[in-house]
This record gives sequence, structure tokens and C-alpha cells, in this order.
Amino acid sequence: MTPFAPSPAAPAAERRGDAVRAFRFLRHRVLRNTLTSMMRGSRLRFGMIAFCSGVFWVGLFGLFYGSFEFIDTYGALSGEFVEYIFSLFFLSLLIMLFFSSGILVYTGLFQSKEAAFLLATPSAPDRIFAHKFTEASAFSSWAFMLLSTPMLVAYGLISRAPLGYHVASLAYLLAFVLIPGSLGAATALLVARFLPRRKKTVLIGLALVVVVGGIARLSQVWQAPSEGLTSEWLDSLLGRLSFSRHPLLPSRWMAKGLVEAAAGNASDTLFYFFVVAAHAGLFYLFASTVARDLYRPAYSRVQGDRTAKRKTAWYGFDALFHRAFWFLGRPIRLLILKDLRTFVRDPAQWSQFLIFFGLLALYFINIRRLSYDLQKPYWRNLVSFLNLGVTSLILSTFTSRFIYPLLSLEGRNFWILGLLPLKRESILWGKFVFSAGIALPATELLIVLSDSMLRMGTFMTLLHMGMVAILCFGLSGISVGLGAKMPDFKEEDPSKIAAGFGGTLNLLVSLVFIASVVTALAIPCHLYFVGQDDSGLGSGIIDRAQFTFWVSVAGAASLVIGAIATIVPLRIGIRAFQRIEF
Amino acid sequence: MIDLIGVTKRFGNKFAVDGLDLHVRAGELFGFLGPNGAGKTTTMKMVCGLLTPTSGTVRVGGFPAGSPEARRLIAYVPDQPYLYEKLTGREFLRFVVEMYGLDPSRAGRKLEELVDTFEMRDFVDDLCESYSHGMKQRVVFASALIHEPRVMIIDEPLVGLDPRSARIVKDLFVSLARSGVAVLMSTHLLSIAEELADTIGIVERGKMLAVGTLDELRERSAHQGPLESLFLKLTGGDRPIHAYEPPRVDGVLAASATGEEVDR
Repeated sequence: MTPFAPSPAAPAAERRGDAVRAFRFLRHRVLRNTLTSMMRGSRLRFGMIAFCSGVFWVGLFGLFYGSFEFIDTYGALSGEFVEYIFSLFFLSLLIMLFFSSGILVYTGLFQSKEAAFLLATPSAPDRIFAHKFTEASAFSSWAFMLLSTPMLVAYGLISRAPLGYHVASLAYLLAFVLIPGSLGAATALLVARFLPRRKKTVLIGLALVVVVGGIARLSQVWQAPSEGLTSEWLDSLLGRLSFSRHPLLPSRWMAKGLVEAAAGNASDTLFYFFVVAAHAGLFYLFASTVARDLYRPAYSRVQGDRTAKRKTAWYGFDALFHRAFWFLGRPIRLLILKDLRTFVRDPAQWSQFLIFFGLLALYFINIRRLSYDLQKPYWRNLVSFLNLGVTSLILSTFTSRFIYPLLSLEGRNFWILGLLPLKRESILWGKFVFSAGIALPATELLIVLSDSMLRMGTFMTLLHMGMVAILCFGLSGISVGLGAKMPDFKEEDPSKIAAGFGGTLNLLVSLVFIASVVTALAIPCHLYFVGQDDSGLGSGIIDRAQFTFWVSVAGAASLVIGAIATIVPLRIGIRAFQRIEF
Repeated sequence: MIDLIGVTKRFGNKFAVDGLDLHVRAGELFGFLGPNGAGKTTTMKMVCGLLTPTSGTVRVGGFPAGSPEARRLIAYVPDQPYLYEKLTGREFLRFVVEMYGLDPSRAGRKLEELVDTFEMRDFVDDLCESYSHGMKQRVVFASALIHEPRVMIIDEPLVGLDPRSARIVKDLFVSLARSGVAVLMSTHLLSIAEELADTIGIVERGKMLAVGTLDELRERSAHQGPLESLFLKLTGGDRPIHAYEPPRVDGVLAASATGEEVDR
């Protein structure tokens, strides 16, 4: 050992600390080391993720290319119609990025050990904010890039845009990301400073406003006054979407600028780009100033407001649960009870579940007010399948956000579970039953509600109920299985686990699964109901006998797909989980 | 160097620190003792500027706690220190060097010196994610010392360290204090406080119960025993303990150990 000899009058620092350079060094080294260890240790996983992302990108590109090509045949590609599409698309992303950036910045600045470490260094609060903001923006916007680039490239090719359009669209995207990111981050800081105890209420309130507003708008949009696919119908539809083209919305500037860039109009392209970039700069400056002045006091307030709350015991419920689910192994029942407690005691989980499913229920209850039940069988069938699709999509976001990270979060506590006298696979089965047990009653109830409001027949209601059951088991299997196959034991923030590569892959696989099951059964139903009149008579493209045959085939195919989606990921997950060393 | 005057910190209705006065001079090693939840960590976080006091004044080197000037003087080693998992130990130390804006050539020499002091040469170029707890602690101590702080705040310094590493750290504290650094150290290991501290402060429920040298504390409390019994007396920890009685193992009437054999 070499004795340590401190300088008797050592200067605290010899020159001004350069936090910018320090953070640049940190980001560069962390990125380089992460990539190197990924390439060395898990080349297959890295390759699989890159391949899946590539396939997803190409798939989306094909979808957008086909859609733009279709629109182009009506000569509407260069007009207002594309502006509407872009405006709506970027408005949705604006809202999503606002929430995701806000949540990630809040977690990074107030709940991470890194924040405490950095706050004890000479780094200024706005520098720490800049570092965490960059990290949060990268996390929250890579999926945004994956979604938006295929659309913009496809539009550029179909509209025969000049090369400059593609460069401009990239610059537009980068500037655009900063707007919702900065606003979300500034909101997170203000909430932490002034409402540290009400942060969840604020989040839930904001989400509620957005979702209720969105549903109200959607229901207006769906109330088309005339026959579909006529110019009158299109004008009416566009009129109802005009809110997305408000001149003060950044999504409108994006849409306008990109359309002008594709048309080769350089001056307008630059003008709108500067509008977007100037606002991005302004909002970032605002967020950074808020961080400079409020981050330290806000951090202190957030830490000071963590008070312990005594929880009531669940003995009666536990006994009832054990009796009701006697057919499950006792270890599995105990694990489910543990997860149920966590679910109930984490408002982020149950509130989101309640908000989304509650709002869907509200919409389904109001179906008759919208007179959907009086429409032709063709429309009622279409709406019933759309309702089923929306329910499944919301369920997939729930399983991706909350069920997928469960195993990763369990890893840190594995010393407890690992010492218990139970098989490792029981842990996975416990998660699966927990997920399906929550999802199944909620979604079945919604679908029965939707179908009864739409006055669907018994056969169609039973068919939809069967589909929902398949989807619940499949989505639970995918999330639990992939969560065990690609765990992230280092990350403590479940939203980051869900937003990472594995979480996104899980969401993509879930979407493909939903699309396969819903499409398989929706097609024969659509072909059967398409020609029926109000009384349910008249002939569709296929007759009753053909309908029965094809629904049976599609039902069998859905069952097979559902079984594969449930069993294969779970088997992969169990095998991987049994090999993991903690 | 560290001055807390009438400091109170409330978390909701709970007083974590209640009218605390505490002074640590340059060159003094202050042992900060107290039962779990007494307010030691909260006090240290206020000195570092991580928490702002509800009332009272906290100053470091004459500067308000949390000010950039105060933070330049401080090195803080929390009970659960943070390391970037995807950096090597050396890269982490370089990051700290950059953060404090130290002269590269001088900091480079200092870095090598600390690598030798804490015997990290075998692992300093591996990623921190592969380190044991003790290895991480050594890197954290090195990072705390690399900018030559004037005030050292350490929360539970010896947790997870092997005997040799613990010896290194204990010697380090003494040499730091002798060189003029103010050291504020919290610990539950009373023998460490007894062995190292120039001054001992005992807190409970946010209030300072007693402060002084070990001899002064003994004199004031009229108690001549070891620090442990003095501490338990002051904090009310000498009340009767409900002893745990392990269940009897069937078939074992009595067991006694003789040499390497166990007789039943």
C-alpha cells in the first residue's frame, strides 16, 4: 500500500470546472462501453434487435408507401389532405413525447442516485438538467424516429421530392423533439417544486384531460353525416379534424414545412424550419432557466415529502383468494398476492389501468347516444371490431408498460425469491396468471358492454369474447416471456425498462399478434356483413354457409396463433430465466 | 469548516432534525453517532446542500451549504454510493477530474497515486458493473479525494470493506484530519468512533444529546465504561431486550463444541 499524502493547503480546484466537457466525456464513454459490451457479450441479441427494428421500419415504410400511393391516385397527395395527416400524426407524437419526457426527466432528476451524486459536485443545476434531459430525450424519442422516418421517406419518394427534402425532414424531426421534451421537462420541474405531494394527481389529471379530449374528438370524427368515401364525407371528416391544424400548434408547422420541402419550395421550408427551431430553442431555454432556479429546492422538497404510510393488512382477502384459486399451486398464489399488493399500492399502475379502461367503458356506454346501434349491420360489425381492436391495443400498452418490466424489477429482489422453496418457473407462471387475471375480467366486461350496446347477436358476442380471451392470454404470455428473456436488472425505473429495446420489441410483437388475430376474424365477418341491409337481410360477398366455414377456419387459426403466442414466449422465458445467474 | 446553527428539518409533520447545533473545525475528525432514524444522514445531506433546512443556518467553509463555493470544498461519500456501471473505475475518476476542472497533468499523477493507495490497479480498467461492493467503495473513496477536498463527509464508511481496505480507509481519515481537512463521519461501529474520532456527537430524534471528546462525554455522564455502554445509556438503548428464542431441533437434547467435534 502506498501511503496517501494529502496536500496541507490543497486548492479546492485549480481552474473553473468544465461540466460540459465532463458530461460529454461521460456520454461518449458510456455509449462506447455499452456498445462494445453488447457486441462482445450478446451479439445475437444485438443482431436480433437491429433485425427486428429493420423489419419494423421496412414494414411501416411499406404501409405508408402503399397508403400514399393510394392517395396519390386521387391526386390529393400534394394538397391539404397530407397536411392533415402530418398534423394529426405530429400532434399525437407531441402529446406522447410531452408525457414520456416529463416522466423520464422527473425520474432522472429526483429519484435516481445519480442525481444525488451530481448535485454534490460543483456542476450547476442547469448542467445536470441538460445531461438528464439529453438522456431522457434520447430514450423517449428513438421510438418516435422509428415511427416517423418511414412515413417521411415514403412520402418523399411518392411525391418525388428533391434530395434536400430528406435532409430537411431529419432536421425538422430533431428540432421538433425538443419542443414537447422541453415542455414536459419544465412541467416536471414545476410540479416537483410546487406540488411535490400532488405529482401523481397532476399526471393523472393531465392524462385524463388528454384522453377525454381525444375521445370526444374521435367520437365527433366518427359521426360521419353521409356515406363513406365520397367527397362530401371527406370534406366533413377534414372539417372535424381541423383542430389539428391550429396555426399555433408545432405539429402544424411541421406539416406545412415538410409539405413545402417536398414541393421543393426552399424559402417556405426554411421559414417553417426556423419557426420550429426557434420555438425549440425558446422552450429549452425556458426549461433550462426553470432548472437553474428551481432544481435544487425542488430536489430537497421531493426528498422531504417521502413520508411512510402504514398499510392495512389483507388477511381476509388473502384467505378468500387462497380458497377461490385452490387449483393453483400455493407458491403461485402467494406470488400473485404479492404482485396484487404492489399493483394496488402503486397509483401509477392502477390509475392508468382505470383511466384507460374506464374511459373505454364510458365510450361504450355512450354508443347508443351516438346512434351506432341504429346503423346498418355492416357499420355495427365494423365498429364492434374497431372497439375490440382499441381494447386490445390498450391492453398491449398495459402489458408492455407494467407486466414486461416485472421480471426485471424482481431480479434485484431475487435473493428473497431464490431462497424460497419454489421452482423458478413458478415465478413466471405467477406473473402470467397475475397479468391474465387482471386483464381478462376487465376486457371481457368491456367487450360484452360494447357488443350489447351495438345490439350485436349472441354468436358475434361470443366470438368477440373468445377473441379477447385469446388476446389476453397471448399478450400476457408475450410480456412475461420476453420480460424473462431480456431482463434489465440494472435499471430501477420500470418506464425505462419498458422504453428500452426489449420493451419496444415486446410492444411490436404484441401489435403483430393483435393484428393477426383481429384481422383473421374481421375479414370473413366484414365480407359477410358488407351487403346486409337494416333488417339483416340481403347478401354479402359471402353467404351464411361460407361465413360459417371461414369463421371456423379463422377461429381455429386464431386459437393456434394464440396458443403459440402464449406458450412459445413463456417457454423461451422459462428456459432463459432458469439459466440466469443473479 | 462546518457550522450548523439551530438547524431544523421537517418531513411533513416529522422532525428529522430538531434545532441542531454542530461545529467541525479544520483538522478535526468528528464521529457522528446515533440510532437508526436519528437524523444523521439528513444532517449530512444538508451539509452537502442536497436538502435545504426548514430553519437554521448551514455553512461550509463560511459559504452557505449548497453554494458552488461550498460544493467545491466538499467530498461526500454516501452510505450507498453511486458509480456509472458502464464506466471503468479509471474513467469514473477521469469524469470527476473533468467535473472539478482539475489540471490534467497534476490530476493524472493524483489519480495514479490514489490507484496505488486503494490498491485498485488489478481492476481499475474493468467496468464498474463487475465490481464487488468493496471495490466500488474504494473507487468512490478515490473519487472523493481526487480534487483534494477541505471537507470530507462520510456516511457509514466501512460498510462492505474487508479488514485490509478498512484499515486503509481508517488510516486515510486520520491522515486527512491531520493535514487540515474537516472530517464528518457517521457510523454505527462505535469502536471506530472510539478509535478515530477527535470529537463525538450523539444525536437522537434529531437533537444533539451530547458532544465532546470521549473523556468529556464520560465525565459529563459520570460513566467510565466503553463507548458502547455510554451510547446505550444516553440513547435509552440499555432497556431490556426481548431475546429471540430459536425453536428446538428435534432429537438434539444438548450440544457443545469441543475442538473440531460437536458432541450431542
